[in-house]
Amino acid sequence: MPAGGYFGKALVVDIGDRAATSAPLALADAVLRAYLGGVGLGTWLLHRLAPAGVDPLAPPAPLAFVFSPLVGTPLTTSAKFAVVAKSPLTGLLTDALASSRFAIAGKLTGHDAIVVRGRAAQLSVLLVDGDGARLEAAPELAGLSAAEAEAAVRERFGRGWQTAAIGPAGERRVRYATISHDGRHAGRGGLGAVLGAKNIKAVLVRASTRVAIADQQAVLAAAKDLRERSFGPATAKYRELGTLANLLAFNAVSTLPTRNFTAATFDGAHRLAAEELHELRGVARNSCASCSIGCEHIYSRKGGGQQRMEYENVFALGPLCGVSDPDDVFAASARCDELGLDTISAGGTIAWAMECAERGLIDAPWLRFGDGAALLRALDMIGSREPGLGELLAQGSRRAAATVGGASIDCAPQVKGLELPGYEPRTLQAMALGLAVNARGADHNRSGAYEADLSGEHDRLNGGAAQVVAAVGTEDRAAVMDSMILCKFLRGVFDEPFAEWAALLRPVTGWDVDAAELRATARRIVLAKRVFNQREGATAADDTLPRRMLETPLELGSGRVAALTADRLRAMVAGYYAERGLDQEGRPSREAEAALLLGG
Amino acid sequence: MGRPKGALEWRGSTLLHRTAALLHRTVGGPVLVVAAPGQELPALPAAVEVVADPVEGLGPMRGLATGLAALDGRAPAAFVCSTDLPFLHPALVRRVLRGFADPDADVVLPVARGYRQPLAAGYRTALAPLIEKLLAEGDLRPGMLFRHCRVTQLDDDTLLADPDLARLDPALDSLVNVNEPDDYAAALARPEPEVVVERFGALASGGQRGPRTVRAASLGAAAAAVGIALDRHVVAAVNGDQMTRDPHLPLVAGDTVAFLSADAGG
Repeated sequence: MPAGGYFGKALVVDIGDRAATSAPLALADAVLRAYLGGVGLGTWLLHRLAPAGVDPLAPPAPLAFVFSPLVGTPLTTSAKFAVVAKSPLTGLLTDALASSRFAIAGKLTGHDAIVVRGRAAQLSVLLVDGDGARLEAAPELAGLSAAEAEAAVRERFGRGWQTAAIGPAGERRVRYATISHDGRHAGRGGLGAVLGAKNIKAVLVRASTRVAIADQQAVLAAAKDLRERSFGPATAKYRELGTLANLLAFNAVSTLPTRNFTAATFDGAHRLAAEELHELRGVARNSCASCSIGCEHIYSRKGGGQQRMEYENVFALGPLCGVSDPDDVFAASARCDELGLDTISAGGTIAWAMECAERGLIDAPWLRFGDGAALLRALDMIGSREPGLGELLAQGSRRAAATVGGASIDCAPQVKGLELPGYEPRTLQAMALGLAVNARGADHNRSGAYEADLSGEHDRLNGGAAQVVAAVGTEDRAAVMDSMILCKFLRGVFDEPFAEWAALLRPVTGWDVDAAELRATARRIVLAKRVFNQREGATAADDTLPRRMLETPLELGSGRVAALTADRLRAMVAGYYAERGLDQEGRPSREAEAALLLGG
Repeated sequence: MGRPKGALEWRGSTLLHRTAALLHRTVGGPVLVVAAPGQELPALPAAVEVVADPVEGLGPMRGLATGLAALDGRAPAAFVCSTDLPFLHPALVRRVLRGFADPDADVVLPVARGYRQPLAAGYRTALAPLIEKLLAEGDLRPGMLFRHCRVTQLDDDTLLADPDLARLDPALDSLVNVNEPDDYAAALARPEPEVVVERFGALASGGQRGPRTVRAASLGAAAAAVGIALDRHVVAAVNGDQMTRDPHLPLVAGDTVAFLSADAGG
């Protein structure tokens, strides 16, 4: 009898030319308790099922849709799922979250995870429910956006199915293609390319069973309390303006990456500000299933249509590319949605190309900072993998820089191959460490160390021991939230997060879990990711930032200079290794690795 | 004054706190307060360090030697000032420290408002042994030090050639000190500085968008002026620099204060 909230098994689907076979993989209670679900359980599954050194785009590479014990409960923001695979962009572990009904239906197929391997002979869809998995050829879906594909399969298979699909970029294996459900993307690391490489346009799931909960009444009471707290001041920003509220604020505090990280303020920021757009273009607010926050803000587009805008897509396709016209940024965001592209990696790669073009390193005289039409043209070239520039940029900035050569790698805005999010490392030096050491690469969701930088409790321009502790702490909290799973926009409502999360898990699972156990769980998950990456060839040399960040200071409006030297970053990385019990090469001891239960 | 000037109340804190906090927000390096042996100090910002003079009664040269020695290896030069400069502006501090762009300068000394200003001046930290030697020889006056090292003098015109200083402190009020009760009363009677306040994100809802000019000598006063409570959901940045919610952070003319949501996720 599995613990409450679990089925105690994953479904492993092997796709052949024209059919799929599936078999359950038992998940012991000890494994579930050690890794919870979501990102944590996905990491364990990758250790177990990904052959060492596997090409992420080869048939044996597994792609896991992973649910969690809280999915399907009335706890607000819990309808989320993780997608985990070896990244074609970084060659390391990547995990991305998306939300809503796919999570609930996927779990209620009767599995804690669905793992996909193999390759179909032609473009197909995979259907999973309580009876197992089956493959259906779907060549008619070729070239459709994910939203169009979702609509088409709903028409073909009926409304009972929930769908995660890829766009044309995933079919063409662009290395930062996404998987999306209901307009929300599992965005980072190229998971869409992994699914595309299996010739799978969409995965459909259908609820077929129920899941037992240890103490239903206690869960209902906890859900009521959490919902009430979710309406408080800690989530006001998300409700009132959404994540785009960051843009103008970050500009005011010199941490808005601009023109490929050559500046931290953008003179066109006010045109893209949530405050401005909300008044002029705001049309609706939306939320994921089971969410009481409702962070999604929808804006009208000039000429018709609507677009959901978030800070990260506006930063990446706006200031980072020097583009200030909101209609250009709206159009570019919409194009990324249609193609199924990670907006951060797309914007980062194009911003790098714009700089290379302006410096004469790339022969594309039309590609200039600030040119919205050029941005759209570049996106289309990437989506279609047009020979030449489109093919080059479809590889992401690190691979593209390796092709272009010269000093172009120094300004490629990436760590471990993953393009940086919208947090300037020189003015957010706890975040600089988080970006450098994170397993997924430059990432703001698995390491939220910017919280410490912006808290007013640390010197954000002078990284040191305090920033190390802060970075470890936010990484640990993210590991648990991403595995339970709860949306991080809730994090401000918890005063004692580990204790309060344990209090949510106890009535769901029936475990006597406490804060100390969850702290250990967090460290285990972080370590398991690092061990996977080391198995795939990552070394301490990968725990760094682009040379530009370490050699070019930024001048602030206050007259002070923000500098992050290589020595300072190295010292923080060494502190991070010590804090995590790693050796000087960032490796765990054999005893620590053995305690990860990676063998089962 | 009848009591230590550093402990005099100033806009909700003390003159010493105001001076130390202002220097901390201005320079990138350490900020030290040199205390007399056994001296009790009013509250200081957390990042400010305190070092004690080994002996009492030898005047500012003793404190100068102690402070510069404590900075050995941590900073090549220091801005050194007394605690009784209630209008000290970061623009003056920056202008003085820029004098060390000349590698031959040992001391950068304002000579303004009719006086030499050795307690609002810049000193190379490497001068500490020389000052100790002079003290040992009984030379307790700064003027003796200046005879033995290279001094760059900054007169009023030179100081005000700096466009930031000319704009933000045109009367060089940074160099006004309070020696007598009347000086203190006159300083307190001056209006608080004009600063620009802007609210962002959820704090700007309800028609609160855009910059507002208010008079406020501290962050707490600026927040109160626009109806913001500096609780855990709010942080502020002055001129795009450090994040803080310290209500006692001193503000000066020309500052821009951004108030934003403490949750930066997204």
